[in-house]
Amino acid sequence: MTASPPSPPSGFPVLCATKVTREYGPLVAVDGIDLSLHAGEFLTIFGPNGAGKTSLLRILGGGMRPTSGEVRVGGEVMDFGETEWRRRIGVLSHKGLLYGHLTLEENLRFFGDLFGIPDLDRRIPARLEEVGLADRARFQARQLSHGMKQRLALARALLHDPDLVLLDEPYTGLDPHAASVLRRVLSSLKDGERTVVMVTHNLSEGLALATRLAIQVRGRFAWEGQRGDMAGDEFERFYHGVVEGVS
Amino acid sequence: MTDKGIRRAGVGLALVGVILVIVVHWLSFFWVATEVNQGVVQRIFYIHVPAAWVGFIAFGVAALCSAMYLWLRDDRLDHAAVAAAEAGMVFMTVVLLTGPLWGKVAWGTYWTWDPRLTFTLLLWFIFLGYFMVRSSSENPERGKRFAAVVAIIGALDIPLIHLSVVWFRSLHPTPVVAKPEGPTLPAGMLITLMLGLLGFTLMFFGLFLLRYALESARNRVVLRERRSQS
Amino acid sequence: MSVYVRQVIAILTKDLRLELRTRERLAAMGAFAILAGVLFNFSIDTTVVRPQDVAAGLVWMTIVFGGLLGVGRTFALEAQDGAIQGILMSPAPKDAVFLGKMLANFVLLYAISLLVLGVFALFFSVDLGANLGALLFTLGLGSLGFVALATLFSAVTEGTHMGDTLLPILVFPLLVPMVIFGAGATGRLLAGRPVVEVAGNLRMLGAFALMAVAAGAGLFRYVVEE
Repeated sequence: MTASPPSPPSGFPVLCATKVTREYGPLVAVDGIDLSLHAGEFLTIFGPNGAGKTSLLRILGGGMRPTSGEVRVGGEVMDFGETEWRRRIGVLSHKGLLYGHLTLEENLRFFGDLFGIPDLDRRIPARLEEVGLADRARFQARQLSHGMKQRLALARALLHDPDLVLLDEPYTGLDPHAASVLRRVLSSLKDGERTVVMVTHNLSEGLALATRLAIQVRGRFAWEGQRGDMAGDEFERFYHGVVEGVS
Repeated sequence: MTDKGIRRAGVGLALVGVILVIVVHWLSFFWVATEVNQGVVQRIFYIHVPAAWVGFIAFGVAALCSAMYLWLRDDRLDHAAVAAAEAGMVFMTVVLLTGPLWGKVAWGTYWTWDPRLTFTLLLWFIFLGYFMVRSSSENPERGKRFAAVVAIIGALDIPLIHLSVVWFRSLHPTPVVAKPEGPTLPAGMLITLMLGLLGFTLMFFGLFLLRYALESARNRVVLRERRSQS
Repeated sequence: MSVYVRQVIAILTKDLRLELRTRERLAAMGAFAILAGVLFNFSIDTTVVRPQDVAAGLVWMTIVFGGLLGVGRTFALEAQDGAIQGILMSPAPKDAVFLGKMLANFVLLYAISLLVLGVFALFFSVDLGANLGALLFTLGLGSLGFVALATLFSAVTEGTHMGDTLLPILVFPLLVPMVIFGAGATGRLLAGRPVVEVAGNLRMLGAFALMAVAAGAGLFRYVVEE
């Protein structure tokens, strides 16, 4: 396998990061990463712990300001004073970003209000249906199992129909059923319109849906390329080679 | 200006300031006439007033640099804000030590809720908070922002604090220098005071520049550490 | 309804709903208010001072301490499941987030300050009758200024490793105008003096509240950005 630079599809990139760097005091978490993603692409970023994957994802989602470099969403520069570009981004993190004492319906309504979504009465039941939680709309979120919470978090992340979806270790701690629901909803995102970036160290889940792959080590992309038709175990050997080669 | 230039200017200003302050000490002990009403203790005035004056300037500079830092995000502005705040802290401490000493003799008590004394004490605590948020933030960049917010809110609240403590109680003598009909201090006292103001101001700017150079040197060390790690 | 108002109301009602379901802060602040009244009662030698004379000051101190107890937890509650990240990554402007959380804290603290007033009236046999309306207004203005500063600084201390312990050091020096004008007005109103006599105090208290709200709304985004 060669580290061929991905051939860019035509059209405007949905997400474009230029020389993005993030430092915490003396520590460099993200070190000058360039990235350009087009509609319909699904990028999975692998990497060992502490490689700066979560920091990168938070920068791409506008949850953190890069120390230097620039991120564009749909051609618009992320300006922290402006907020419109945030409507295009949905984030699913390993933290639920939910309120345990609110019901499922109230949780979604709260975030729906923050996003200024007009048809919440119709949209909330539809989203809950999609993740298989329609019968629990009036339960408080803290009564849910971890897997159900993660499904609710997914419904929350997709509530406003974002064209860029960012996933941070979404499979962590999920039971097989929750994982399969997540996989089903995520594959429905591959409709050619939406762009997805997933960060994970779960190689098989990460490979399953990806169209593009990257391996991040020590804040940089040590390798990136198209998904191709590599088998799982073949990629695993390659991954370990890359990680060991860098560190 | 290069860092070396800043350091040199700082040393120069501080030296001239220190010399002037020593001269003022000599003047206030051996040259200037004793004030009729208060007696010998009034001589502390030549230290107390200039220190207060410089303390207020320092905190003004710190608040201004903090606001500009939040706006422009230039680390140099943050360095300037810390430098001014730290120097201000020193001078304010001088005010808070000399004030009660003077007050004990002049008013018969170490502490009164006189507006200016109260006000100085509160300012001192606002800037104590400034340093505490700075040092207790794990992420230094965040600590800078937090500290800047503290300084700005402090500066905004100062007029109200001042009004309220004046309203609460007032004991201080009315201004003796900045009166419309001109200063009423005798010439000797005025000269000593003015030299004191000049000396303290120069000393402040000297310390300010030195501290600024130190802060940017520290920053460079952090950067170098980072480069050697990666 | 504009989106901005909708965002503010969403945060306000969410916070109040959470408070009503958990009752954590309300219970802590309420119990504190009553117990502080009890302790203050025993700390006063009634042969030396008349309780009514010091009631106004104690009312305000109880509000300040009790307020820090509850408002200081504003962002600690959000941090549990990372929910604050969700809010900050939403398109809601940061000042809308601040106003929503501040208003929720205001409702909470105003309820507590009414309780404090009642407790002190009961324990210290103070007559509220004559100036009740003006008293409620004074406490409202004071609470508003207080929650604006305390909400902003609880976001600051949440980001430090000292947490709540730092809050009084940051907030108390700034509260001096509120205590002076607020306690001054309350004292006179409790003593049954006419409302005109405290008009100046109330204006200054209003100016303080206004400044605190404006500064908080303007500076909040610098505190929460990462």
